[in-house]
This record gives sequence, C-alpha cells and structure tokens, in this order.
Amino acid sequence: MKLPDTAPMPHAALAPPEESSTMIEVENLDFYYGQARALHEINISIPANKVTAFIGPSGCGKSTLLRCFNRMNDLVDIARIGKGRVRIHGIDIYDPDVDVISLRRQVGMVFQKSNPFPKSIYENITYGLEIQGISDRKRLDEVVEKSLRGAALWDEVKDRLHTSGLGLSGGQQQRLCIARAIAVEPSIILMDEPCSALDPIATSKVEELIQQLKGKYTIVIVTHNMQQAGRCSDNTAFFYLGKLIEFAKTEKIFTNPSQRQTEDYITGRFG
Amino acid sequence: MPTASSTAFAPTRSVGDALLNRNRFRILGLTPDDIIKYFFNGNAIVAVVVLALITIFLFREGVGFFGKSQRDLRLYRLAGLEYVDFIRHEVDEHTAMTRDLNAARLAEFQKLTAEGKTPEQVTAALASFDAFANAFGDSIEDVRGTLSDLSDVAIATKTKARVNEDREEQRDMLLSAGKKEEADKIEIAPVNFAAETGVMKGTLPAFRKVNDQFADKLGAALQSSPHVADPKFQAKIDAVHAKARALIASLPQIEKNMENWNYDAPVPASKAVTSFLFGREWLTASFWQDWYGIVPLFVGSLLVSIIALAIAVPLGISAAIYVSEIAGPREKGIVKPYIEFISAIPSVVLGFFGIAVLGTALRWLSQTPALSWFPGFPMSERLNALTAGCLLALISIPTIFSLAEDALNNVPKHFKEASYALGANRFQTIVRVLVPASLSGIISAVLLGFGRVIGETMIVLLCAGNRIAIPDFTQGLGAFFQPVHTMTGIIAQEMGEVVKGGIHYRALFMVGVVLFTLSLVINYVAQRIVHRYRISIG
Repeated sequence: MKLPDTAPMPHAALAPPEESSTMIEVENLDFYYGQARALHEINISIPANKVTAFIGPSGCGKSTLLRCFNRMNDLVDIARIGKGRVRIHGIDIYDPDVDVISLRRQVGMVFQKSNPFPKSIYENITYGLEIQGISDRKRLDEVVEKSLRGAALWDEVKDRLHTSGLGLSGGQQQRLCIARAIAVEPSIILMDEPCSALDPIATSKVEELIQQLKGKYTIVIVTHNMQQAGRCSDNTAFFYLGKLIEFAKTEKIFTNPSQRQTEDYITGRFG
Repeated sequence: MPTASSTAFAPTRSVGDALLNRNRFRILGLTPDDIIKYFFNGNAIVAVVVLALITIFLFREGVGFFGKSQRDLRLYRLAGLEYVDFIRHEVDEHTAMTRDLNAARLAEFQKLTAEGKTPEQVTAALASFDAFANAFGDSIEDVRGTLSDLSDVAIATKTKARVNEDREEQRDMLLSAGKKEEADKIEIAPVNFAAETGVMKGTLPAFRKVNDQFADKLGAALQSSPHVADPKFQAKIDAVHAKARALIASLPQIEKNMENWNYDAPVPASKAVTSFLFGREWLTASFWQDWYGIVPLFVGSLLVSIIALAIAVPLGISAAIYVSEIAGPREKGIVKPYIEFISAIPSVVLGFFGIAVLGTALRWLSQTPALSWFPGFPMSERLNALTAGCLLALISIPTIFSLAEDALNNVPKHFKEASYALGANRFQTIVRVLVPASLSGIISAVLLGFGRVIGETMIVLLCAGNRIAIPDFTQGLGAFFQPVHTMTGIIAQEMGEVVKGGIHYRALFMVGVVLFTLSLVINYVAQRIVHRYRISIG
C-alpha cells in the first residue's frame, strides 16, 4: 500500500493542543544505526506532568526516540545522531558539557523486560542512591518505603525487603523497577513497553500506577497495546517508518485522527 | 483371520506400509540412525572405561603402599632404629642450636666489618663468644659417640633382616618356578631382634651417665656465655639459651622414653596412613630409614599455587573485565587471542625461560639494595617458589581469563542497562552489578585455574628449586622465596628410577592419588558453583 507523502509538519503543529509547559523538546532529529536511518526529522514537544504514549508498528523508531531522551543509545556502538536537538528543561542534552550521569538521574527508565538486579528488594531500590554516595541508613530506609509506596508495592513486600528481588512475580518485579526508578527522584520516567510481558491483572496494576504517578512525573510510554495507550495516556504520538505522523490529544487520535495512516493503524488495517 | 482383517483394513494398508517403511537401507541389520547412535555411544563408553581403568590402577598401586609402609615401620622398630632415633633427635636439636649460634656470629661479624673494623679486631671482639660457642658445640661429643656406635648396631640388624627378606623372595621365586632343590640351598638365618636390641638397651645406664655429663657441660657452657653489647646479637644468644635449657629439661623424659621402648610393640596400620599424610619428611634411598611424608610436597604445591593465583587472579579477571566491558571491538580482537595464545606455549619452554631468564632476573632484583627492606630479600636461591609461581601464573591466566570473560558475558544485558539508566558510571556498573552477578562464574574460573596450576608439572620441576623440605614459615613472606618440591614434580622426577612394586614406587602412586583426589574435588566444587549460578540467573 502506497502511503501518502508525509512531509514533516511545522513545529507548532506538533505541540500538544493544550496549555502546559514543555518538558522534552525534540527538534529536527535524525538518528542513524550505522548507515540505516532510524528517525527522520522528528519534531515533538512533550508536555510536563502528563502521560505521553508512543504508538506505531514494530521498527518505527519509537523506542529509539525514547532512548534518545536519556542517551541510552550511547551504549550502542553504531548509533549516532545525524542532526537536530533534544532539549530537556530547555537544555540540549547532546551538548558536550552535559553530564550523562546527571541526565540519567533526571530521566529514569523502565524496560520492557523487568530487570531487577540479583540483589534484595531493599538493595534494588537503594542502588541508585548508593552509587551517588548516599549511605545514611535512615535516609535509605525512608526512600525505600517512599518509593515502594509510590510504586504501590509496599504492602506486598514490606515483610521481605531483604529477600531477592528475583523472587517476586513478573508484575511485582516491574513495579519494583518503577520503584527503583523513582527512588532517585527523576522528573521524567521513560517506559519502554512496560507491560508487554505481563498478564492482564499485573498490567492493570501498572496502568493504575502510571495514573497515580503522572501528577509528579512526566511519563513517556512506548506501547504496542492500543487500548493501553487509550486508557492511560493524555497525548499520543503515532510513528511510522521512523517518522512522526501525528501527535495529538489521545481522544482525538483515537476518535478523529487527522492523518489517513493513523486511522488505518488504529483501526487495524495495517501494522 | 487373514481374510477378515485384510478386507476390513484394506484401505489403510498402503498408508500403514509407508509408515512402517520396511525397505529402509540397512548394514548388518542396522539402520544409519542406529550406526550413528552406536558410534557415539561406543566412543563415550571407551572414554569412560579407560578413565575407570586408570583410576582403578592408580588406587590399586597406591593403596599397596600402606601395607609396605607398615612392614617398613615395623622393621624400623624391630631393628632398634627407633630407639637410636631418640638419641639422634637429641643430637639434632643441639646441632640446630649450634647452627643458630654460627649464623648469629656471622651476622655480627658482617656488622662489625661493615663498621670498619679489621678482621683482627673483630676476632678479638668475638673471642669470648667463640669460647662459649666452642664449649657449647663440644658438650655433645660423647652423646654423638654413643649415637654413632648404636647406629652401627641398629643398621647392621636392619641389613641382616633385609638380606633375609631378599633371600626369602628369591626362594619363593625358585619354588614357584619348581626348582625346589635350589630353593632349599638358600639359607635363612632368622634375625634375633630381641638379642640385638637387648644389647642396645643394655647400654642405657652408660648412656644415662653420658647424658648427665652432657647436661653438666652444656650448663657450664651456658654459664660462661658472655654478655654482648649489640642487643640483636644478645637476643639471638638468649634464644639459644632458652632452647638449650628446654633441651636439658627434656633429657630425663628422653631417657624414660628409651627405657620404656619395646622393640616388639605392634605398629598399627593407621600409623602407616598418618606417617604418609602427616609425615613432615620425604626421605628416600637413605642409609638409615626412608620416610614418605607428603606434607613437604603438599605444602610446596600449595605454596607455588598460592603465588601463582595471587598473580593470575587479579590479572586474569581484570583482563576479562577489560575485554568484556571496556575494550572496543578492535582492542578485543587483539587482546583476547593474545591472552589465549599463552596457553599454546609448551610448559617446558616456559620452564626453560624461568631458568634462563626469570630466576636470574628475580634474584638480581632481590639483591638491589633499595629493596632490602622486603622480607626474605635478597633471595638465596635463583630457583624457588616465586620463580615457579610466576610462570604458573602465566599458565593459568588464559584459563581464568576465558572462563571469567564467559561469566561476565553471560550476565544478561538488561542488568547493565538498568544500572546505566539509574545514573551509574561504568566503574560502578562493573563493580556493583556485573561482577556480583557473575561472581559464581568467576569463582569457578579461579578454582579451575587452581586445578590447572596444581596439576602442572614441567614448570615446577624445572623452576621450583626441588628442595624437599617444608619452607621455613618463621621467615614470614620470606617463605615464598625458598626452594620447594611439589607433588607433581616428585612423581616426574622419581618415578623413572624406582623399583616397580617397591615401597617408593607405591609411595609415588599415593602422591598421585592425593593429586587426583584434589583435582577431582576442585573440579567438582567448580562445577557445582557454576550449576548454581545457572539456576539463579535462570
């Protein structure tokens, strides 16, 4: 099927249609894996303290874009930025003066596969603080409780904080990872398909959690699950073949998309 | 029946035939599948059977040692060698003290010479000490005389018994060959151990007198001991004093032991086992009594292994961390094959290098005045535990490196990502996440490196110095610079020259059994650890 031309739209058109301060701003971003171009001139402004969902078929570049926000792509040898900027709090994070370590403390991440360290629940949470040199036991205790409460996991694990994090169920492990991410008090949490390996009950718990968190954090979530995007996001961006096709309020995307491709994808005609 | 059923199943017959496939290709009634299966099966069985035979052979030859050793120890007692060794022990203690005094004198001599005194002045300064040392040394002479006399008696008895054993063996051979007449010609005059040892024990009252005189002389010598100005020198003299007094105090006990000694007391089988496992002496082809104690060899093997691991573990693991986590693809492509290449060097070449280059270089280094503060420096021997340990480290680095690198690479990538995403730097990620997650793999890498080192033969044989003695651990770190002999080295060195089936031959097999058991335990533990690691990572 031949897709209509999708020339990049003007920057203003992609700002969320609502008054809200911008947290992440991407400007004309091109991204390459070796010679392969993974992102084409992306322009998007992600509002603060909202949930923004990235949807699109596999390989459309949504995870790549997500990983640009905390520079996880730095770990991939062949990955490089072609042109363009990513600004967080107005600062270009690819500026040579930016400290990647501090950036990653500001921009937490939750991965597709839950990945608690093979350590105790307690140590999993405190890891992010300990690597900053914080070893005050009282403070760590407080953070552990706060983070686990924040991730709606406290009541389930408070009696076994010192048992292995790998002993938890899949959904609990994923919430532990969220707790671990919020323990370092980031302003942004990136979630890369956080529920794709979970059963429906665990998924609904994580979604509930996302709703609770969105007041305090800016959340960007990549998902393959259209219902999930509809349920828990405020704004939704649709990507296709490395391009941002449409970015709008979630109900508009799902009820009245302005692009043909978006409509085709959402109604299940391809992807 | 055929008609009914054949009609009933007629439509399915052709399909059934195809399923049964009776026309498959066969050799000697075996299908290709069977042949492949039996081929691999056979190989596995051959390997297992050969291993089992080797193990059985090793143990059979080795266990025979204990019977022989028990008989040997029995003869040691019967012939009165044990009795004489009470005196020998006393003399040896005294000799050690004399050696201490000489060493102290030499140190003092060097010190005074270094202060610029002429040899005459030094001799004058040490005159009173020399008088004391001479009196000290001479005090034992009479005891030494008794020892010499009794030794002759005991060894003569033992020789007689040995000759009888040989003749008996010869007669048995002749008898089994059916030559009865010739066998009868061989005369065996049984040794009367009671009479022989009775003579020896009869000298006990005389020995008591000799001993009393010795105590008096030694006491008098101690009285005449001069006070010297140098506190270090004085301390050494004082140490000898203390030992000498302890020796004098122990004399009545020695005499009592001699009095209570009985040539006919039985030697329990356990004595053969303990004298092997805990024996501190490995002494062969001795005119007196052979001892097969594994302790000096075991300690030697352990010492060189510890040195080797102390060098190889940090190097091997650091290299593994570097290659697996830090190096770029190009560096990886250079470093990894190079390290693995080390294992392609034949160990005899490394041993040769150790003798020709490393030993000399290390000794030269230890003689540098700037390093003289280091305990044990300068080294007295060019070939010692350190020389061998350094080269063994080289041998075990590839093992440790490869296995540790595998372990690190097996840590799931998402642990690393999670750590970086929380703002950890590379060092924190390595130390706090990757190494702990692969710890069991790393431990088993170290254990297998240990197994590699303890089984290595050529390098230790060439470079460890081959002195069969427990290193003097009172020197602290200096113990690492002393020549040692190892379990593998002794087998390689002595197996070629022993009589097959003799006690020495069997003793070497027992050493082999100990080595085999040790390797088995190390490998088993390493495998268990890896197994647990696989389960926990899932």
